[in-house]
Amino acid sequence: MKEFLSKLIEEPGVSGYEEKASQYVAELFSAYCDEVNTDPFYNVYGIKRGSGQESAPRVMVAAHMDEIGLMVKDIDDMGFLRFTSMGGVDQRILLTQEVTVHGKEDLKGIVAALPPHLLSAEEAGKAIKMKDLVIDLGLPADRVRELVEVGDLIRFNSPLVSMQGSFVNGKSIDDRAGVIMQVALMKELDKLKYQAEVCCAATVQEEVGTRGAIIGTYRLEPDIGIAIDVTHGDTPDAPKDFTHDMNKGIVIAMGPNMHPGLTQRLKDTAKEYGIAYQEEVVPGMTGTDARSMQISRAGVPTVLVQIPLRYMHTTVETLNMDHIKEGARLIALFIASLKEGWQEWLTY
Amino acid sequence: MKDLLGLLTATYGPSGNEDPIRELIENEIKDYVDELSTDALGNLIAVKKGNGTGKKVMIAAHMDQIGLIVTGIDDKGFLRFSNIGGVSVLNIINRRVKFKDGTCGVVSYESEIDDIKKLTLQKMYIDIGAKNKEEAAERVEIGDVAVYDAPMFASGDRLSACAMDNRVGCVVAIEALKRVKESDHDLYFVFTVQEELGLRGARTSAYGIMPDIGIALDVTLTGDTPNARRMAIKLGQGPAIKVKDSSVISHPMVKNLMIKRAKEANIPYQLEVLEAGGTDSGAIHLTASGVPSGVISVPCRYVHSGQEMIDLRDMMQATDLLVAILNKDL
Repeated sequence: MKEFLSKLIEEPGVSGYEEKASQYVAELFSAYCDEVNTDPFYNVYGIKRGSGQESAPRVMVAAHMDEIGLMVKDIDDMGFLRFTSMGGVDQRILLTQEVTVHGKEDLKGIVAALPPHLLSAEEAGKAIKMKDLVIDLGLPADRVRELVEVGDLIRFNSPLVSMQGSFVNGKSIDDRAGVIMQVALMKELDKLKYQAEVCCAATVQEEVGTRGAIIGTYRLEPDIGIAIDVTHGDTPDAPKDFTHDMNKGIVIAMGPNMHPGLTQRLKDTAKEYGIAYQEEVVPGMTGTDARSMQISRAGVPTVLVQIPLRYMHTTVETLNMDHIKEGARLIALFIASLKEGWQEWLTY
Repeated sequence: MKDLLGLLTATYGPSGNEDPIRELIENEIKDYVDELSTDALGNLIAVKKGNGTGKKVMIAAHMDQIGLIVTGIDDKGFLRFSNIGGVSVLNIINRRVKFKDGTCGVVSYESEIDDIKKLTLQKMYIDIGAKNKEEAAERVEIGDVAVYDAPMFASGDRLSACAMDNRVGCVVAIEALKRVKESDHDLYFVFTVQEELGLRGARTSAYGIMPDIGIALDVTLTGDTPNARRMAIKLGQGPAIKVKDSSVISHPMVKNLMIKRAKEANIPYQLEVLEAGGTDSGAIHLTASGVPSGVISVPCRYVHSGQEMIDLRDMMQATDLLVAILNKDL
């Protein structure tokens, strides 16, 4: 799984431009699925058909494959690039990042600003705003203009690093780890008997407003939705109420976006099979595909499974690989438990 | 095109009250279309049928404009109001506004305020020159909406008026609709309502039409004024092909096709990365299972003020580009 994740985070997939990532995901899925489709927006659907008849539910399992990144918005007189963010990039981490600008060819660059020596004491103490940062390609201005234009995408260079134990860090683990969990889920399902039709959707444009899930859920018209995304892992300075232990299991979300009966069923399944889980209350809208799956068409009862992740929306997103396997096993067992009479869990 | 734009910008049509502008556009296009209808929300939908081999294309231009809605009349006959769409305090101070029936007024603010930055709409009012509450109530009712009253002026190719956002897009749609003669595609020109309140007309009309491709026509901001927020768009450098804004990332296929058609026809263009703001394609592209969509924008200074400035050539070239796109394969 680590190898898959390592390869997947190298595939370009900034929100709105997921074509390359989708090709890799489709290839990855095809080894474990009955059918793999890609829609015009590059959502990838890996379908596994269970043994069930028509009455068996269609279960959509969504994890988004898009990643945050940057986009060229202007080229200044000296050939430095000005940029905007695609998704919620943490501007505090931008300075000195190595990036690749996808112009007419791939160009290596760095995010730069005035050195501290040239700043006043007051200015030097502040994080620099995105509007004041530039990207230096080390090229003369006329050459930059030949190779780069407004609207070109910029990605961070930050490959997957194995830390101690099962911890890894890198960019775009939000939510490529979820896509890898989908692959692990497919493998787990192969060990089980299940009736449902399982559609794993690797969605696009989540980081700019769960847009891939909006159209993908409409397309699939599922009976049940399961979203996989990341949530905040614990760090020394973080409030305990909003963060989760990096070693104590996946996080099951509870709140109005999630179906109470199904969520209880998910927890019961975890207890039954001794799978550790943590809980998170999300009183408002979740920042995940779950919120859009829930309100598609006539409504889709949806649950949300999350993986604790430290340093979200940076290039060193840190995660415990064990959670991918455990989460996949829980979702597989949950899906396998959907037998005749599954509709009863949805009643209030 | 200039005269038509002058007429459209002077015609009343705030979000939710688009009747006058819709009637005007209807009369302007009725002889050029195969079908013409108004849907339940008030979207005007004009269809030009193709030859059956093409795609179903939705071309959306919102016809609504921002405005001020009356919430109360005080004892002295001053009107209190709330905003319809993105109205900023600074843009409306001491501006002339008009209601649907032609009643005019001046927008001003409680002079006790010590810091203009703290001014909010709640501390502002419309003065229609009424001597008391009764006289005001004879002319205006709660719920009536006022819009800027600012007729167009020209300075060479530069044109300035209120409601350029988005009567410019409407003119582009009207002209393209008249000029497109041999398209394979079924063309649904939709003059949408309530864009300024959250792309509402585009959302429902797109669901009703279920197009294969969406193209929105709207204005965009520029970065060419003194100390402007950085943006690589200038007046007079050609129409803008949108890459992204807050509501949509143009589908790469549609964006690239627009660029290709512009190059083939030698139409100058600019690439638009808009950091804040949205347009009808934001709703269209998320309709049902998804509709690949793009946007052609006309650069515009001072958007949402009483004088929005465009360059006539940008508008004409935007029309050329739209016609070039619709006349060929999609």
